[in-house]
Amino acid sequence: MATVSRFERRSRLVTLLLYCGLAAGLVFACFPIVWMFFTSLKSNTEIFALPPRILPKVFTFEAYASIFSDTAKLRFFLNSYLVAGVVTLLTVVVALLAAYAFSRYEFRLKKPFNLLVISTQTVPPITLLIPYFGMVVAFGIFDTYYALILTYMVFTLPYAILLMTGYLNTLPKDLDEAVLVDGGTSWTALWRVIVPLSVPGIVATAVYTFLLAWNEFLFALTLTKSMDMRTVPIGISLLMGQHAFEWNEMMAMSVLGSLPLLILYLIAQRYFLVGMTAGSMKG
Amino acid sequence: MAFATAQSPGAIGRGMAYALLHRRKLAPYLYVAPSVSLFFLLMLYPMVAVFRYSLLDGAILKPSPKFVWFDNFLQIFSDPVFVQAIGHTLYFSIMSVIFHIIVGLSFALMLNSDRIARPLQSILRVLYILPWLFTAVIIAIIWRLILDPNGVINAILMALHIVDFKVEWFSSSRTAIHALTFVNIWAGYPLYMVTLLAGLQGIPRDLYEAASIDGAGPVRQLLHVTLPQLKPIIVSIALLDFIWTMQVFPLVWMTTGGGPIHATEMMSIYTYKAAFSRFQFSIASASAVVLFIISMSMTYFYIKHQKAVR
Amino acid sequence: MRLLKSTLLAKSAALALALTIGGAHAETNLEFIQWWEPELPAGALRGIMDDFEAQNPGIKVTLISGPYANTRDQIVVGAASGTLSDVVGLDGAWVNDLAKQGAIADLNPLISASGFDVNEVAAVIKVGDGSYMFPVASFVYPVFMNLDLLKEAGVDTMPSNRTEFVDAARKLTSADKNQYGWVLPLSLESPNGIQNDVMSWVWASGDSMLKDGKPDVTNEAVVGTLEFIKSMYDEGLISPGTFAKKEQDKVEEFVNGRVGMMVDSLAHINLIRERNPDLNFGITAVPAVDGYTGKRGLPYASWGIGVSANSEHKEEAFKLVSYLMSKDVNAKLVSIANAFPGNVNAKPDFVTSDALFGKAFEIFQEGYLANEFVGLPVAEELMRQMDVEVQGMLEGNQSAAEAAAKTQAQWETAF
Repeated sequence: MATVSRFERRSRLVTLLLYCGLAAGLVFACFPIVWMFFTSLKSNTEIFALPPRILPKVFTFEAYASIFSDTAKLRFFLNSYLVAGVVTLLTVVVALLAAYAFSRYEFRLKKPFNLLVISTQTVPPITLLIPYFGMVVAFGIFDTYYALILTYMVFTLPYAILLMTGYLNTLPKDLDEAVLVDGGTSWTALWRVIVPLSVPGIVATAVYTFLLAWNEFLFALTLTKSMDMRTVPIGISLLMGQHAFEWNEMMAMSVLGSLPLLILYLIAQRYFLVGMTAGSMKG
Repeated sequence: MAFATAQSPGAIGRGMAYALLHRRKLAPYLYVAPSVSLFFLLMLYPMVAVFRYSLLDGAILKPSPKFVWFDNFLQIFSDPVFVQAIGHTLYFSIMSVIFHIIVGLSFALMLNSDRIARPLQSILRVLYILPWLFTAVIIAIIWRLILDPNGVINAILMALHIVDFKVEWFSSSRTAIHALTFVNIWAGYPLYMVTLLAGLQGIPRDLYEAASIDGAGPVRQLLHVTLPQLKPIIVSIALLDFIWTMQVFPLVWMTTGGGPIHATEMMSIYTYKAAFSRFQFSIASASAVVLFIISMSMTYFYIKHQKAVR
Repeated sequence: MRLLKSTLLAKSAALALALTIGGAHAETNLEFIQWWEPELPAGALRGIMDDFEAQNPGIKVTLISGPYANTRDQIVVGAASGTLSDVVGLDGAWVNDLAKQGAIADLNPLISASGFDVNEVAAVIKVGDGSYMFPVASFVYPVFMNLDLLKEAGVDTMPSNRTEFVDAARKLTSADKNQYGWVLPLSLESPNGIQNDVMSWVWASGDSMLKDGKPDVTNEAVVGTLEFIKSMYDEGLISPGTFAKKEQDKVEEFVNGRVGMMVDSLAHINLIRERNPDLNFGITAVPAVDGYTGKRGLPYASWGIGVSANSEHKEEAFKLVSYLMSKDVNAKLVSIANAFPGNVNAKPDFVTSDALFGKAFEIFQEGYLANEFVGLPVAEELMRQMDVEVQGMLEGNQSAAEAAAKTQAQWETAF
C-alpha cells in the first residue's frame, strides 16, 4: 500500500515538474513575442519608459493605422505574398520532380546531381552577393519579381528536394510500379499515385519554402531598389531611419508580417509534422 | 528537355515528352532537369566568379587585376581578426546546435507526454513554434530592445537581485557572444522541436512496452529507446543547422555588428566588412571561399550520414 | 515543368511589352539614389523633383530612397557592378573610394560644358584633379542639452570648455534615476560615432588628426581627447551600453531624458521635437580644451551629390545636380532640412526654420566647418579601426596613447 502511494506521489511530482517545465518553456518562447506585441501598441515615448512596463499605459493603434493607411507599406505585404506564393508553388513542383527521380531511379549522374543539390545549400549566400548581383543585372531582371523568385527558388530548392526525396522514399515502390505495369507512364504514376499520397511531404516543403522566402533579407535588399518591389523584411528595416527607430511601427509590421505565417502553419500543422520527419530521416 | 521546350506546348510536344518519359534511361534526367538547370544557370557563374576573385589581386577595383595564387588566403590567415572570426563562428555554431538539440528535444518530450491534456498540448505546440516565424531583422530588433542595459531583462534580474548592475549584454565583450548565441538558440530551436515531435510520435509503442517489462524506468527508456530512435533525425538536422548557422549574417550584423572590439566577429561579418567597408573584394572572396570549404566538409559528413541511414 | 516553361514565356512577353512601351516615349528617366527623402518631411523631396520635371520637360526623376546604411550598401553594390543610379547622393566619406573605382564621374567636363558657376559651391570635394561631389546641404554637430535636466542639476551656464562639460556631466549623472551626463554611440555596425562624437572634440579645439594629408593620430590633441573621454567613461558619466549603441539610440536616450547632453546633428531638431514635444532643449558649440580662444572647428556631415560614371544621361543628370545647387532651390531645400546651404549665395529662410537654427548659425559664423574624414580613402573603415581601439581603451585593455598608436599604425597602411 505504502509503495503505491509513494509511486502516486512521485507521479504527481513528475506531473508538477512537467507543468513547471512547460511554463518555463512558454516564458522562454513567448515572452519576447508578447513584449513585441505590446510594444506595437505603445507610443514611441512610452517604449522607453522606466522601469519598463509590459502593458502600455495608453493603448494606441496608431502604428497599425499608419501601416494600413499607407499604400506603399501595404504594397510590401502584397509583394511578399506574391513572391513567397509563387516561389512556394514553383519550388514544390520542381522539387517534386527532382525528388521523384532521386527516389525512384538509378541513373549514372545520380550521385553527382545529388552532390550538386546538397552542396548548393552550403554556399553561404553572402559570399555570392556581388557576382550574383552583376548577373541579375546582366539578365535584365534587376528590381523585378523574377529576380527574387528565381533567387529564392535556388535557395529553397536544395532542402526542398531533400525533404521531398525523404518523403517519397517512405512510399512503397510497388504503388507506382503497378501503374507502369498497367501500361501507364512514370509521369502518370507521379501525378495520379504519388502526388495524392505525398500531401504531408508537399505541405512540409511548402511551409518551409514559404517561410524562407517570406523572411529573406539580404537578397531582397540588394536585388530590388524601387519601393514597388520591396518586401516586408525590407519594409521593417526601412523604418530604422538613420536617426531614429520607429519602434512601434516596426513591431506592428512584424506582428502583421508573421500573422500569415502563423495562419499558414496552423492550417498545415498536421501534415507538416509528418512531412518534416520523413524528410529528415530518409532524405 | 531542350527538345520538349523547342516545340510549342501543343499535343505533339507533350506526346514526345511522354514517349521520352517511357524510357527509363532518359526519364530521370528530364525530372531533374528543371532544378539542375536552375542551379547551373544561377549558381555556377557567381561561384566561379568568387573563386576567381579570391585568386586575384584587387578584383573589381583594378581594371586588370593580377593573378596572385593564394596570396589573399595567406593574408587573411595572418590576420588575427580572421582567425578569431573562425573561432567565434565555430563557438557560435556549435553552442547553437547543442542547445537547439537540448531545448528542441526537451520541448518535444514535454509536449509528447501523456500527462498533459490534449487541448493544452495543441495550444502549446503552436505557441512554442512562434520564434520560428520571425525574420532575422525583427529578431535582432526585439532582442536589442529587451537586452538593452535599460531593458526589461535587466529590470527583472535586478528586481530579483540576480544581478546588481545593468549588464550591457550586447556591448560588453564578455557577454556579447553569449547573448548573441542565446538569441540564436531562441530563434532556431523550433525546427528541431517540430521534427523531433513528429519523430517521437513515430516511435513504435511496443519498444517502450518491451523496455518497461525489462524494468526500465523513464530515464533508461529515454536513453535506450527514445534517443537511439531519434538519433538519425537529430544528426541530420544538426548537421544542416550547423551549416546554416555558420552563415548567419543579418542577426549578428544588426545586433552587434561584430563588436564590441572583435568579440562577435564571425566569418560572414568579416566577409561583409571586407567587401562593403574596405572594398577589398578579393579578400572578401577568399574569406568566402574558406567559409564555403568548411561548409562543404560538413556536407561530406552529412552525405555520409545520409548513406548510413539508408 | 510546364509551369516553369509558361512563366518563362510570360517573362519574355512581359519583357517585349516593356521594350515597346519604353521605345514609344522619348523621355529620359533619371534615377536619383539618396537617403534624404526619409529624413525630410513626407513629399518634400518629391515636390522639388516635380518642380524640376516641370522646368525640364522630357526628364523624369525616379527617387530611390532608403535609410542611410541601406543606401550605402546599394551604392557599393551598384558601383561594383556598374549599375549605379544616374544621380547619386554621397557622403564625403565615400567619395574617395567611389572615385577611385571609377564609379562616379569627374564633374569638371560637365561643369565646363554647362557653364555652371563653381564659385557658388561652398566646397567642391576633389580627388586628385577631379571634382566628384558638391555638398547640397551641410549639418553641423553642436552639443544638445536638456535644459530642464540641467536646471534640476543646478547647472546654469552652458559648458564651454571640457572641465565645465565634465562638471555638468557629473551633476547630471544619477545612476539611481537612470540619468547620465553624456552618451557615446560606438556601434561597429556604423562607426560614425568616431567622427561625430569622438573626433569632434579634437576639431572643436582647432586641432587635427592629420598632418600634411597623412594620419597623425598620436599627437597630443587626439590622445588628450581620448583620455578625456576615458575619464568620463571610467567615472560612469556616460550612459551604459556604449559599444552596441547606434546613433538612433543616442537620439532616443536624449529624447527620453535619460542623458543630459549629446553631440548631435542639427538635422535632428525636427525629429526630437516630433518625438517629445515637451522636451526643453538648447544647443551650444562642442566645448574646447580649457583656455582655448581660437576659432572652433565645427564637425559637420553633408548630403553630397555626384553623377554616376556609368550614366547614359550624364548631361541630364548634371542638370538635376545644378538645379539642386542653384540659389533658390538650395535655399528651399536646406530650410526644410535645417541645414546650411551648399550654395554660398543661398539664404535659408530662418523664419520657417526652427528657432534653434538661428543660434546654430551664430555658432557656425564663429567657427569653421571641420570634418577630416571627408575625402579620405576607406573612411568608414578608418573609423571602424579606430572604434575598435577606442573600445579596447574604454574596456581598460590599453591606454589612450596605445589606442592612438595602434590606430595610427592601421591608418598608415590604409592610406
